[in-house]
Amino acid sequence: MFVGGLDPPQPPGKNQDPFAVLSYRLREALLGQRKAAVWQPQKDKTFQVIIVDKDVRFPPRKLVPPEDPQYHAAHSPLSPLTPTSPLYPDGLIAPIWIRKHTTLVPSVYVVFMRIYESPQAARAPLEPSEADREREAEERRRDTELCADIAQRKRTTSERGVKLTVVLLASRKMLDEPSLDNRLTYIRRQSGLDPRAALFVLSPVSPSEVGDFVRSLQEALYEPAVEYYTNHSKRVRRKRNRHSQSAAAYSAPPIAGAAGARPLRPEGWTVRYEYKMACFAEFRGEDEVALKHYQDAYSNLLIMFGSTAILPPRTKRWAEAKVLADCISLKVCKLYLYNNEHSLALSHHNSHLRKFADFSRGWGIGEETFEFWSWLARQHRAFAELLEQGTRTTLKIPTHYNLGSSSVAAAAAAAQALDSGQRNVLELDAMRALGLNPLQALQHPGFYYYMAARCTERRRERYMSTTKAEEQANTTSPGFTNEKKVDHLALALELYTRSYELFKAHSPPTTQGHGRLTLWIAYRIAQTYFESGKFDMAVRFFERIAKTYRREKWDSLLQPLLSAWYSCAKQMGDTGLGVRLLFEMLGHGVRTQQGDESSTQADLMEILKSTAPEGPVVIESSETQPILDASVVFWKHNVIVNEATAFQLSIKAKPTVSLSALPFVSLIVHFSSDIPPVTVHHIASDTSEVAVIQRIDLGHVEIPFAQDDMKSKKVEGCLRWCPSGTIVFSGSISSDTPAVVKISKVILTLQEGAWKLEFPLHPSSDRHNVHPSWLSSADPIQFIPVRGEHHTSVSFHYRPHRVEVSLSHYAPAYLGEDFPIVIHVTNADDRDMEMIVDALLQPSEMDVADNFISLGDERSTSLVKAVPLGIISPGVSTSVTLYLSNAGAAYDRVVDISVQSRALSSTEPASPTSPGSPTAPAVVDRDETLRTLIVPTIDPIHAEQQVTYRRSSKDQLGLADLRTYEGDFWDDGNAGEAIVTTVIRCMAPSGISVESIKLTRQDVKRAKVLDCSIEQDQDDFLSEWLPGDEFCGRCRISLSNSDEDVSEETFDGPGKYEIFWRRILPEGTQGSLSVSRFPLPQLRPPTDGLVALLDIPPIAKLHVPFLLRLVIRNGHPSRAANVVIQLEIDSSDPIIVSGLRSGRIPIILPGAEETLVWKLIPIECGAVKIPRIKVMDRRKDIHSLASLEAEPDHEGEIVRIVDIRSDERMETSGEVPTWDGAGENQRDGNELSKTPSSPIILVLP
Amino acid sequence: MPPQLRLNAVAFVSPQNHPILIRTLAQPRQDELKYHYIAHTSLDVIDERIAAAAAAKSTECYLNLLYTMEDVAVYGYVTPLRVKIIIALALTDTVVRDVDVITIFRALHTAYRLSVANPFLKLSTPLENVNDHAVSLSAGGTKWKAFRRRVDDIGRALGAPVTGAAANVY
Repeated sequence: MFVGGLDPPQPPGKNQDPFAVLSYRLREALLGQRKAAVWQPQKDKTFQVIIVDKDVRFPPRKLVPPEDPQYHAAHSPLSPLTPTSPLYPDGLIAPIWIRKHTTLVPSVYVVFMRIYESPQAARAPLEPSEADREREAEERRRDTELCADIAQRKRTTSERGVKLTVVLLASRKMLDEPSLDNRLTYIRRQSGLDPRAALFVLSPVSPSEVGDFVRSLQEALYEPAVEYYTNHSKRVRRKRNRHSQSAAAYSAPPIAGAAGARPLRPEGWTVRYEYKMACFAEFRGEDEVALKHYQDAYSNLLIMFGSTAILPPRTKRWAEAKVLADCISLKVCKLYLYNNEHSLALSHHNSHLRKFADFSRGWGIGEETFEFWSWLARQHRAFAELLEQGTRTTLKIPTHYNLGSSSVAAAAAAAQALDSGQRNVLELDAMRALGLNPLQALQHPGFYYYMAARCTERRRERYMSTTKAEEQANTTSPGFTNEKKVDHLALALELYTRSYELFKAHSPPTTQGHGRLTLWIAYRIAQTYFESGKFDMAVRFFERIAKTYRREKWDSLLQPLLSAWYSCAKQMGDTGLGVRLLFEMLGHGVRTQQGDESSTQADLMEILKSTAPEGPVVIESSETQPILDASVVFWKHNVIVNEATAFQLSIKAKPTVSLSALPFVSLIVHFSSDIPPVTVHHIASDTSEVAVIQRIDLGHVEIPFAQDDMKSKKVEGCLRWCPSGTIVFSGSISSDTPAVVKISKVILTLQEGAWKLEFPLHPSSDRHNVHPSWLSSADPIQFIPVRGEHHTSVSFHYRPHRVEVSLSHYAPAYLGEDFPIVIHVTNADDRDMEMIVDALLQPSEMDVADNFISLGDERSTSLVKAVPLGIISPGVSTSVTLYLSNAGAAYDRVVDISVQSRALSSTEPASPTSPGSPTAPAVVDRDETLRTLIVPTIDPIHAEQQVTYRRSSKDQLGLADLRTYEGDFWDDGNAGEAIVTTVIRCMAPSGISVESIKLTRQDVKRAKVLDCSIEQDQDDFLSEWLPGDEFCGRCRISLSNSDEDVSEETFDGPGKYEIFWRRILPEGTQGSLSVSRFPLPQLRPPTDGLVALLDIPPIAKLHVPFLLRLVIRNGHPSRAANVVIQLEIDSSDPIIVSGLRSGRIPIILPGAEETLVWKLIPIECGAVKIPRIKVMDRRKDIHSLASLEAEPDHEGEIVRIVDIRSDERMETSGEVPTWDGAGENQRDGNELSKTPSSPIILVLP
Repeated sequence: MPPQLRLNAVAFVSPQNHPILIRTLAQPRQDELKYHYIAHTSLDVIDERIAAAAAAKSTECYLNLLYTMEDVAVYGYVTPLRVKIIIALALTDTVVRDVDVITIFRALHTAYRLSVANPFLKLSTPLENVNDHAVSLSAGGTKWKAFRRRVDDIGRALGAPVTGAAANVY
């Protein structure tokens, strides 16, 4: 889009014409919206704007003026058919053609113009005056001038089919003028503007509104612009079609004055037309169409290149075509990338490279020429730049790594489909699922920059070789002269640097931009610096790279780096760095000259001899490889003090380099602890040849007694190493105090001239490639591999004490006794020992501190500490008894017993000479003997108790009975009695001797012991009980009614059995007195509801009357009872009854009782049945009442009759009493003996 | 039949990123250093892929194409015990089937397994760290030829011209 009529820019200032400001803002808005860029995939409707003069002239369409009769036959000035054209006669297309369409000829021309506004005169509104008329005439005149101006422009634009749009600038006030519409219509008609989108009016507005205007203006003009290029395309297509139809019969049109030159071939014309159409399509934003045309142009170009007849190599046209092909190829790549067709783009790029590499070979500029590599580097670079531009905005580099098993499955399925020959439409997809063409995997532009840099390096190599050839031939070709001007290394460096930056940007976030890929590029950069002679830069790079390579122990990469680095140092004359590097190279076994193992040391010696150092030099090898591998082996790890053990320090040289010339003067072995260092001084050996294995004896090393004795020991030996030679320093070591000794470091000193170099070696640090070994025999040489742990240090200990500890006891222990454990301690050593005993009772989860141990005076639930045994002389034994008191449950008790001994040696160690590390053994000669004892514990006496309850037949005292008010009155009313039966069994395997047994009474509120069987026959119990012996005691307890609620029926037993016993020891003696206690069980007497108690004597005499008493007792807390009694006598009964046969007794209130008495006379001897008595309760509860309706003849519940002679019940189950029929039986508790259906009396004669 | 893959170089790298064996199978052998660099730089991409795989809870050993550089395509594989296997295939303009690459990797993995299983590797190493990677590193050392031979066999099966003499010594 051309924009005319905007005044030259003036920065907006004060008091300025609003139109000048508007014009300035319009310029800003139009120019600022779009920058022409390589990568522009977005298709928004913006134009490339060029500000031109209002009277701009377009380049002529043809050279001849339109009036000329030859006008129609003439061609464009850029056509190959025009003799003055640069393309004449056989050029394809020139860059100027593109320039014409991008900068010289617009698709739309916008002109900004001022519309005339008459100066405002103050006038009366209702007074049309002469001035108005004058003003209108003036306006009309000015508008006509404007129209003429526009019409002239319109002519030039319509000649080229360019749309002309006029924007009239008017003041805001003008917009409101009613006459404006008429004037605008007039202007448009007069100037012949298009009806649509050709005339706009704009008044000075704010910048944002200017932006809106610019946007709407472009939107309105977009379509005409597209149309403009479409027309161009159509024209070109017409020409192409016409051309291709006549191509077969095409003969070159006769061109005067160009007899020698051949005209453009039909293929060339096709390229030309396709290229033009592609360009126009690109202008229109139709990427697919552009791509198609570019591809056609490209394939036609390939055809042209295919024949040397069409395009003779190394001509001007050939060179132009080559550039054109490269450009088109790049365009194709770009258009593919716009569409995210990464692999297609890359595959096109690659095929372009391949095809032209093939062509180049044919043209004699194959891989052996610098031209080829220069071209290739340019291609890679252009592609990389394209990608870089793209990645800045929209282009995403695809990842080739997709996770998930589904892809694998898909691949397998696809492979099957392919193998079975089903090659169909899906093949492409299938192939994609199968795998990847690595050539079509797009990577980030750093890779392509790298390629370009590599190609530039090749180019340089070829150039260098050509230089030699040219020098010999003494001729120079023009290409070579050009090449001479190129600074290859600077070029490569630039490419590498860009690649480095991109690699850094694309490296994974975890590496923080210091990935290995970037290091590699950095290495290439360093190499390039090195080659271009910038050694200081190279050294800086080498330093940083080497750090990582050293850390990663990737020696194969480090070695060439060191060589290059050393060369740099040599060039720079940095001797310090050079020496350091040479030593590192020695450490890595790198030779400065291949094939000469002593080349490195020779270089080194040369430096050392010829220069002087700035100061003493220490070659620290903590992160680099040391020049010699040191390893140390102590023959034994655990040694008793004052005992010597052997050690060997092996220092081994690398196999690939020789160190034999290096003048080492001394070697100092430093030990940890207070052992003075050992110095080995070099003495020249007799033979010139250095043995592979040498041995130097260091003698015996020990910690000196006194401080002033700390003198370094001196030894002499030959300190020269041949390749993979080893010097073994052997010696023995001892210590009189406990200590851990290792060789902390070995310092090797080299002296040559003014140089004095120190090499600290650390034999203890683990290097994975050093396998320690022990030189077992010097002739023949034999090594024993040392594989055990801790071979790098020796630990000196005191001799362990020979203290014998034995424990004696008689398991199992019984609960309740103090169980004795005798600890016998014997000093079997030859020194006096001071000993103490600790005992620890392991806590258990089962009891809470019911157990004790006691030792001497100490008593504790867990630990008894430091009970002294005194000083024990050699051969003397002593013993101490530990008592274990157990209570609680029966389980195994665990006791740890520790006997600590301290030797009372005559030579007490002097004050410790060194503070000693925490790991160092104690300086005091102390030892400890540990025993763990598990004591099974059992209960010696087992007791089982059983309780039964009996009802009382005693009469209840009346409410008003005065006795009940006495303080010590025992109201045993109807609560009855409890009988406790206790079975005591002896479980102790060794037996116990029982000293006494008794029942201790205890005051309990509602129970008291009436009598107890063991109180009568206690003597029977007092004897020795053996395992399995059982004894039984019975005890009668009277229960009383409580004043409180009867349902609280549980209470403690009113006493306990106490058994005093002693353990019977194997030798017949008895242990200490122990006591076991068994409390009487808790009592829970059962309760009754309504019950009838039958009281008859056990024996009667024939014909002597006796009484039968039936007590009906209502134990229910709240219900009265309505009782009916029936006595059924059979005539055959051997008994005569006098008394109530059948009747109803008065209602019995809760807690009340009624007694009935019968007199009976037995008339037969033997066991006679008492006549059956039926007692029934007629009172019903509500549920029963309901059922009574259905069962009218129901007589009532039968009340249980209990014979109190055989009344025994277990305790209640604790259920809440219920008053239904089922509940009643339960409530009675479990009868121990079933009451017979009819009680029996024994009648004696 | 898919086109024959040409194996240019094989690298085994220990879990601690130390080289175990780097074997160049391509002729001529002048570019051996290049393959050392390729093996080393591939570790960057492999670390990235392993992290991605761990994040996705994938147990896939095959790490796909790592990158292409100059004339080779570099593929990666990580064994369950984190030994990394890197191969460089000659770059051809064809689809490389993942199945084929995985087959090569499996064969190489087997070769490694068989070689490390050699009990004599541990003969002179300290006892306390028998499982240390020093053992696996020594498998690629010059002293042990079986590993190298197995790798060469795989190379030969893929048509690489392998000569026994020019052993690439690490």
